[in-house]
Amino acid sequence: MPGQIDDPHSRRYRALGTGLAVPIYVFLLAPIVVTVPMAFGPTNALTFPPASYSFDLFRIFFNSPAWLGSLFESLKIAIATTALAMIAGTLAGYWMARHEFAGKGLVTSMIMSPSIVPIIVIGLGLYLYFSYLRITGTTLSIVLGHVMVTLPYVIVMVVAGVNKLDRNLEFGAELMGAGPMQMFVTVVIPQLVPSLVSAAFFAFLLSFDEVIIAWFLAGPNTVTLPVKMFNALHWEISPVIAAVSTLMTALSLLVCIVAIGLRKWTPTDV
Amino acid sequence: MSPAVLAVIFIVLPPLLYVFYTSVYGPPLSLAAYGEVLTSKLFRQTLSTTLIIASLSSLLSLLLGFVVALHLARQPARRRAILMLLVLLPFWTSILVKCFAFTVILGREGIINNILSWIFDAKVQLPLVLNLVGLLVGMTSFLVPLVVLPVLASLVAIDEAIYRAASIMGAKPPRIFWTVTVPMSLPGVFAGLLSIFVMSLGAFVVPALLGGPQDQMLSNLVDFYNREVLDWQKASAISVVLFGMVLVFAAPLALWRRRKV
Repeated sequence: MPGQIDDPHSRRYRALGTGLAVPIYVFLLAPIVVTVPMAFGPTNALTFPPASYSFDLFRIFFNSPAWLGSLFESLKIAIATTALAMIAGTLAGYWMARHEFAGKGLVTSMIMSPSIVPIIVIGLGLYLYFSYLRITGTTLSIVLGHVMVTLPYVIVMVVAGVNKLDRNLEFGAELMGAGPMQMFVTVVIPQLVPSLVSAAFFAFLLSFDEVIIAWFLAGPNTVTLPVKMFNALHWEISPVIAAVSTLMTALSLLVCIVAIGLRKWTPTDV
Repeated sequence: MSPAVLAVIFIVLPPLLYVFYTSVYGPPLSLAAYGEVLTSKLFRQTLSTTLIIASLSSLLSLLLGFVVALHLARQPARRRAILMLLVLLPFWTSILVKCFAFTVILGREGIINNILSWIFDAKVQLPLVLNLVGLLVGMTSFLVPLVVLPVLASLVAIDEAIYRAASIMGAKPPRIFWTVTVPMSLPGVFAGLLSIFVMSLGAFVVPALLGGPQDQMLSNLVDFYNREVLDWQKASAISVVLFGMVLVFAAPLALWRRRKV
């Protein structure tokens, strides 16, 4: 314990704390530790540790049109979602951070609702609504669904970023004759870059990993990687899934490193 | 820029309103779907399973998460940042990857059973997955990183001078733990517990992949009515009930957060 007198007695309790925590770290990391070696294992059996090592499972993945197609579908959706969520989220977040108005609390909770409402409810709602609009099964429908669930997180991160800015710079730019758009692009955006980069990575990962909404909206030609994986885990578990899992974990690790590099652990409060 | 805010509202609201609308409009306009759902045995069973599993997994996750948060809080800042990676990487890992891994770890021919077989020198095939055990393991793995962050925040916020004072006055570590650490971390504990409980009420993927047929939760029932029974009115009614439950538990959290801000 920091600041405490360091006697053998308290050292013993610290060892106890570490002893209790280590198995939990192991438990948390176990899925990754188990999956990654298996991805380099043989193609006929899922055993840990693998009997032999090769790139065969990755070769199967990259030679299968079905898996590769779902990978591209997921990438397409995640890129489009990130672009749309960043544009809408940056503008809306900046406006929310800089304006006080009657009913702001209500508007905030409406915008934040997709982060609290169970995803299944959103998934069903999107499915029913998009059936009415006759766009279920399209890539567009999944992108819109993902924009809906990623927006709250983007907005939270933008609001947090804007709250740290010095407002006088914005006033100064406007006094010097910059229009609101010019001021926003040349003064606000450059200062927000770290928040925006971590928000973009987070939005990308949320969309790329999202299962439930894509599961409700997917058509025969718009099966995303997580939906294909969910189906595979549900019906028959094949060793290729280890390779898919490893690719997804690599992406998570990348986002994790970016997030830590930019010192934004996780979006928490508004 | 207010159009952006309006656009966001127009993206967010229609799907939610559509669920309410479908739940009461068959046609005709009636609450019949709610009556049928609330009296059905399947729904009641699923509701109690949902509440039991959400409670068990949140409490278990809080316990494990508290131990981790306490360990992190007591590290020097630099080492804490490195150890955070051990919590953050699982936090960002796809739930599907975790479900896949636990099927391999807990399966009949899985790692745990193989180790037990080796220890006892006999074929051990404990059923650890596609039942309550597998479901709780999966839920806990998903929830622990979520609860570590708020608990850690309130542990780190405790003034070191209080620890020093308690220690100088002669309190031994257990006493300091129960009279300083625990009471002062309660805000983070409650916030964390409520938010993981709310998250687990809506769990879908973990019960579908790691639970047995009798461990299915409300989200899975919604999917069942939508996909198998093709009864969208009942699927919507169950969704509204689930949404209501989440609101009941999320409301104190929102109020508490606003007061803090």
